[in-house]
Amino acid sequence: MHKNSHSRPVYIHAAAALGPHGDIARAERRTLHGDPPPLELKELVKTVVGVSLRQASHLVELAAIGSQLCIKRLSYPVPENTAVYLGTGLAEVRKNDAVFRQVMPPGPGLASPFDFINAANNMAAFYTAKLGNLRARNLTITQEEFSFEWALHLAAADLRTGEYRQALVGGVDENSLSRVGHLRRIALRDDQPMGEGSGWLVLSVAAEQAVGELVEVKHVARDTELFEALRAALHAWQQPGEPLTLLPGLRIEPAEIVRLTRTLPNLRIQDYLAFCGCFHSAAAFGIAALFDMPVAPGLFVHLNRDASGHALLCAVRVF
Amino acid sequence: MPAIHIRGLGLISSYGRGVACAVEGMRAGRTGITPLTLFSLPFQNQILVNQFDHTSFPPGAACATATMVAVAQEALSEARLDADALRDAALVVGTSSFLFAGEADFWRTLADTGETDMPPLTPPGQAALRVAGQLGIEGPVLTLTTACSSSANALLVAAALLRRGEVRRALVIGVEGLSAIALSGFHSLMLLDPEGCRPFDAGRRGMQIGEAVGAVLIESSDAAGGGDRLLGGANLCDTHHMTSATPDGSAMRSVMEMALADAGLQPADVAVIKAHGTGSLDNDTAEAAAMRALFGDDLPPFTGIKRYLGHTLGACGAVELAAFLGCLRAGFVPPAAGFTKPDSALRIKPLTEFRSAPKGVAMLNFFGFGGNYASLLIAHV
Repeated sequence: MHKNSHSRPVYIHAAAALGPHGDIARAERRTLHGDPPPLELKELVKTVVGVSLRQASHLVELAAIGSQLCIKRLSYPVPENTAVYLGTGLAEVRKNDAVFRQVMPPGPGLASPFDFINAANNMAAFYTAKLGNLRARNLTITQEEFSFEWALHLAAADLRTGEYRQALVGGVDENSLSRVGHLRRIALRDDQPMGEGSGWLVLSVAAEQAVGELVEVKHVARDTELFEALRAALHAWQQPGEPLTLLPGLRIEPAEIVRLTRTLPNLRIQDYLAFCGCFHSAAAFGIAALFDMPVAPGLFVHLNRDASGHALLCAVRVF
Repeated sequence: MPAIHIRGLGLISSYGRGVACAVEGMRAGRTGITPLTLFSLPFQNQILVNQFDHTSFPPGAACATATMVAVAQEALSEARLDADALRDAALVVGTSSFLFAGEADFWRTLADTGETDMPPLTPPGQAALRVAGQLGIEGPVLTLTTACSSSANALLVAAALLRRGEVRRALVIGVEGLSAIALSGFHSLMLLDPEGCRPFDAGRRGMQIGEAVGAVLIESSDAAGGGDRLLGGANLCDTHHMTSATPDGSAMRSVMEMALADAGLQPADVAVIKAHGTGSLDNDTAEAAAMRALFGDDLPPFTGIKRYLGHTLGACGAVELAAFLGCLRAGFVPPAAGFTKPDSALRIKPLTEFRSAPKGVAMLNFFGFGGNYASLLIAHV
């Protein structure tokens, strides 16, 4: 996942993160003290997107707000030839529930056409492209905890090989409204709030107007190699004197974080999950929100693992 | 840039287990249409489907992983590789929503206990991890869900991993089971043809849904020769509408042009086309317009194979590649079963008779909901 990755730098030109309170800016971020209440997004869609998306699903709303906000934060019009990569762990949870109840016994056996169309997992990426007028590559990656990181990696690789000059990369997931419903799909510890959100980055090969850099997405095949891999990666990525902050993902245990801070004494920890809750693509929120939080320039490394024990490191540099 | 060799294929379809089984059925001119017996629907008698024999697989959601492992083993067998060859490989899966697996668990629970509780739905990424675990794959694992282009895009992503040197070998699997929800949804949208798929036919009225699992094992190599190769391909989003194509076919034409450019080819290099050919009114109209615009008077022979296999949605990229390439290897191009009467508005006509397989470049097109399009170019040698 990292071979040949340093041939061409990939820059971050804009970022946007939408959290579970409808928060889209630093001043609106709030720490979660338990599961977030249901989130109504119709008004925010109108405000940010400029039109009502009457038939759109909640997941599409999350994606539309985040992606449009990101595009609008660019200081130039987004080119039509911008590829879209969307990572989502669970995709259309609520619409899938809806059509399941409509069709399966004791339901009537017929699906609502709109619910059925919106239950397609790539509809959020479609709306992202349509609202942004982007006619280019469009991929939806659904790989549990690594959905966003894979989206980021594929986008960066396409930029580095010159296939595209610009990419819009997002991670979006919705919760299931009740904790019980959420836990049917994603295992969480009792102390982990469920969450939802939408995080987006515009990546470009152009250095001008960059606010950051995507340094690398690195796959660590075996969990036992994690600490050593992290140490080696940091050695390669960190510039002399550069502050280093770790963003632990939802599968990193508190004890591991303690161990990491002991192993790497100057390491700072940023607990972004306290703001967005726990969902598969939360890394997107955590990374995108760096650009609207009061952070000093430095290297930020997101760390997560999946159910098979593989780990992924994702490093970005904030200018 | 290293060549991407297609080392092995695997298929479970309504014809049975194995690519050869499907190829023989298609060579005999049999369509794989079967009655719907997996579950009941209010409109069950108004549709035709393609369903495979589930008796040799475990019930419920486990069927999906078992079939994925089975097609992988067939692909490995053709490549004369043992399972250890996959240790460092990538697994890239393409599917739609994977609801069919949750439905399968639901039907099983209903039969066993009479309960109708909604089961915990299996996210597709979770199934991919299970399959990787069973096959001993320790390389990258990812799942693409881009509707009907999912597994074609999975192949493109896997090929990119190979070209960049991230892995040397990749297993691509397209998987789709029959889903009451999908059938009901397409029925609600009036997109199912009660007479089955009739691609590009004047009387076409929609799709014929099928279930199948396909595998394509690819490998990068600097060596010349080595059999069939993936030359290139492209993916593009047509933002015209959620469920229908830009009517003039311009977006479909664009993705075919992008695929040709990626492979360094010209339209004249294409010897045969496997069209997406769903049999739906709008999709076939746009696809015909796209082919006319790109190839003009030199349109190569083209066919559609969804009458044989059904429209296997997210799996159709891998499934149709396996079946179509299987036919080419067996020396023939199958006619577009279901086509009988030309549509004067389309001004093109698919193959109506068997044709000898040409050596050269085959184009395979896949156009899905959400405007997600993929075009692949294969060198058949």
